[in-house]
This record gives sequence, structure tokens and C-alpha cells, in this order.
Amino acid sequence: MPSEQNKSREQKAAESEVESFRKELGPFVVAAETTRMAMVFTDAKEANHPLIFANDSFLSLAGYGRDEVLGQSFDFLMERPADPEARLKVDAAFAGSSENEFEICFRRKDGGMFWTAVFISPILDKMGDLVQHFVSFVDLSKHKEEEDRLRFLLGELNHRTQNTLATVQAIAVQTLRRAANKEVVDAFEGRILALSKAHSLLGRKHWETVSLRDVIDQILQPFGLDDRRVIRFSVKGDDVRLQPKAALTLAMVFHELATNAAKHGALSNEAAGKIDIAWQAEPTTQSDRIRLRWQESGGPTVKPPGRKGFGSRLIEGGLAQDLDGEVRLDYDPLGVVCQIIMPVPLEVGR
Amino acid sequence: MNSPSTDRRILLVEDEIFVVWLLEDMLTDLGCAIVGPASSVNQALAMIDVEAIDAAVLDVNLNGQMSYPIADALAARGVPFVFSTGYDKDTLLDRYRTFPVLQKPIQRSELSDTLAKLLTPKQSNVEAAIATIAEMLP
Repeated sequence: MPSEQNKSREQKAAESEVESFRKELGPFVVAAETTRMAMVFTDAKEANHPLIFANDSFLSLAGYGRDEVLGQSFDFLMERPADPEARLKVDAAFAGSSENEFEICFRRKDGGMFWTAVFISPILDKMGDLVQHFVSFVDLSKHKEEEDRLRFLLGELNHRTQNTLATVQAIAVQTLRRAANKEVVDAFEGRILALSKAHSLLGRKHWETVSLRDVIDQILQPFGLDDRRVIRFSVKGDDVRLQPKAALTLAMVFHELATNAAKHGALSNEAAGKIDIAWQAEPTTQSDRIRLRWQESGGPTVKPPGRKGFGSRLIEGGLAQDLDGEVRLDYDPLGVVCQIIMPVPLEVGR
Repeated sequence: MNSPSTDRRILLVEDEIFVVWLLEDMLTDLGCAIVGPASSVNQALAMIDVEAIDAAVLDVNLNGQMSYPIADALAARGVPFVFSTGYDKDTLLDRYRTFPVLQKPIQRSELSDTLAKLLTPKQSNVEAAIATIAEMLP
């Protein structure tokens, strides 16, 4: 630790450095002093990068007086103990790394923390020698608050959607219970629930992408996917991420297929029926796509339905129209087979 | 039909009238007797004081009021319950994270499975969870 005398000598040296800096850069220093962008200059000749200039914006952001920071090492500004990853980034940027823009957490005089986007840039003298670094700070507190607020709003919106779907379910069941037979009410309720499960899954993933596997798990769970006593399903496939629209449509498609299987197909008898679901990702030169096969076996002999209902219309129409996919739905006597080919952007390097 | 739910007294706490009707129907179909419905914390607490209750279905958010005081009161009496919510399970208070949750919209089969578990104590860890909460309460 430096003695009091040493320290004041260091400070004096720093001050004279600041003075010569001021003289050399005259008008720029005035501009730097008054700009709203918080900025400091550090001495590149010292290993700990002491501050030789700090503008008013920086001082008000960090809460220090000018004489409290000039001569202090750059570390002095960081949270304590500094996050090792942030330390590495700062050291690398001072050493000339091209990654000289990043977000880190700093410490105010009062001990409070603040997130800033930092930009560290070298300053060379006429001879091309590194003499100083210029460091600018953009306060991200507002930005982080906004982010939190957006996350909160999105959560609230997801919750309200779920509640609205619950209300639709309740109104529909109440409205239909005397007018329609139970089968109709159950079919409607089942579809609303499938839609809500897909919404809920997408909501948890912030409406970005969801995995095909998760969509299948959510939708088939009420049909006994997790049942350990009777294995009814085999689900195998590559890790594929779906866009929200594709996820919603596929969720409804799987719901219809499973409902049909429960009524007439492989899930309609007590024991033997089974459903195999398998898919592969197929990167092609034009666009990536997946090829998926839903195959039922062990159920009663399959007869094609008399007329197209909601289910087959959704399966054939929905996939073709909404997702630009190809669907073949075969009522093979041994078990329903549904083959789907649809474009899915595959994420590279995952 | 005899199931663990037959003739059991279920407290229903829910503030949205259509959902109340739906749950009343679902519970009646399961053979339950309904206590309530209560649509606010105070109403529910008053019912808990005077009624015999075997289990409860609790909406988490009652018109902006959280239903945790009801959960606490039920836990203190050793009455099992399940939350119902449109929120994610992980938005529940820490001490209720391990409790059963029915995700809205509620599915008939999930309601009946969950109630059957609540009312057959040996099959669930709800009893232990309730005992833990009851100890934490003042």
C-alpha cells in the first residue's frame, strides 16, 4: 500500500498529466466536459489505467466529485469485488482487443450499482504510441427498467390470454350444455384447451421459438403420454425449433389426430394400440424442412370417415395454407398414417 | 359412481362468474358438495370459520387481491387445496411453489385427478407440505 506521501506524489503526477492533457486538446476538452455522454480518459502508461479526465456527465452518473476520481485506477469504478468476466473484458479492451464495447456493472460513490454500455478506445500520439484510453459510458438503468417492464407486461398479457380462454371455455360449455350433445361440447372444450396449452408454452418462451418436442408433450399429455402403466406413444426426432405460428398450428393438428385416435383409432381400445411419432430435419439448398410421420397401429380396423370434419380440414387445410406444408392423411385399415412435410428454418450451429 | 371426491365438501374460491359456473358443474359431476363459491378473501375466510371443508380450489388472483391468506388459513387447519391460475406456476409465493396448481383453462381430467390426490392423503405429499406451511405461520 502506498504511503500518504507516495500517494500525494502520484496524485500530483496525475494532476500534471491532466493539465498537459487540457493544454494539448484545448477545445476538445471543453466539448468533452459539456457533452451529455459520460466519459473519462485514462493514462495508458500506467498499468492500472488511472483516470486523468472525467467529464461532468460522468461525475453525475457515478456520484463522485472530480478530485475524488482523478488519479484513481479504473478498477475503482467497478463493482467490488468486480465480476471476473467483466474484469477480463475490461483488461482485454485496454490491451487492444477489438471487443471494446460491452455492458458491465459499475459502482456509484453511494455504493449503488448501475449498468452501462462501455466503449473503450485507444488514443495514439503523433508518433503512433498509445498514450491514453477514451472510455464512454451509456447509462442502461432506464433501458433495464424498460426491459423489466416489458417482461412484466408480456407476462400479464399471457396471463390474461389464459384467463380469457378459460372464460371462453366456461361460456361455451354453459351455452351449449342444453342445446348440444356431450360429444360436441367435449370436442369444443378439447380444442380450446389445446389452443391454450400451446399459448401457455409459447408464453413461457416469450413468444420466440419452442421445440417441436415440447409442443407434442404438452398436447399429448392428456392422452396418456406420461402413463407409465401402458406405453401408448413413441416420440422420436431431431431437436427442431418452431416459430409461434407453426407451433400453434401443429399443436391443433396433433390434438385433432390424438382426439381421432382416442375415438376411433389406436387409443380407442384398452390395450394394444400404439402411436409412433417420428421426424427428421432435412436441410435442403432452397429451404430447411422437417418430415414428420404419425403412425397408428394395433387399433381397430380403420374406415375412412364419411365426410370431412373439423379435424381433417384443419390437418389438411391448416398445414397447407398456414404453413406452406404438404400433408398426406391415409386411412390405412391397419392404422391412420399422417405424413407432414413443412418448411422450418433450422438453426445452424446449435 | 364412487370416487375419492364423492360427497366431499369442496370450497370453491373464484371471482369470475363464468368460471365459477364451469367449476361448479365440474365439481358436481364429480359428486362433490360445493362450499361457496367465495369471490373474495374475506368471504372465503368467513366460510372457513364456520363450514366443514374437505378440500379447496383457490383462484390465486381475486380481482387484484392475492388469495394467500386463504391458503394460510386452510393450511393452519390442515385442509388440502389446489391453486387455479392463468399465471405461470413460478409466480406463486415461494412457500407455495411446491403446491399443486391447475393451469387455467382447467381441464376436467386434471381437476378430478388432482382432487382425488388431495382427498387420498397417502397418495400425495400435500399433507407434508401443508404441515410445513402450518409450522411457518405465526
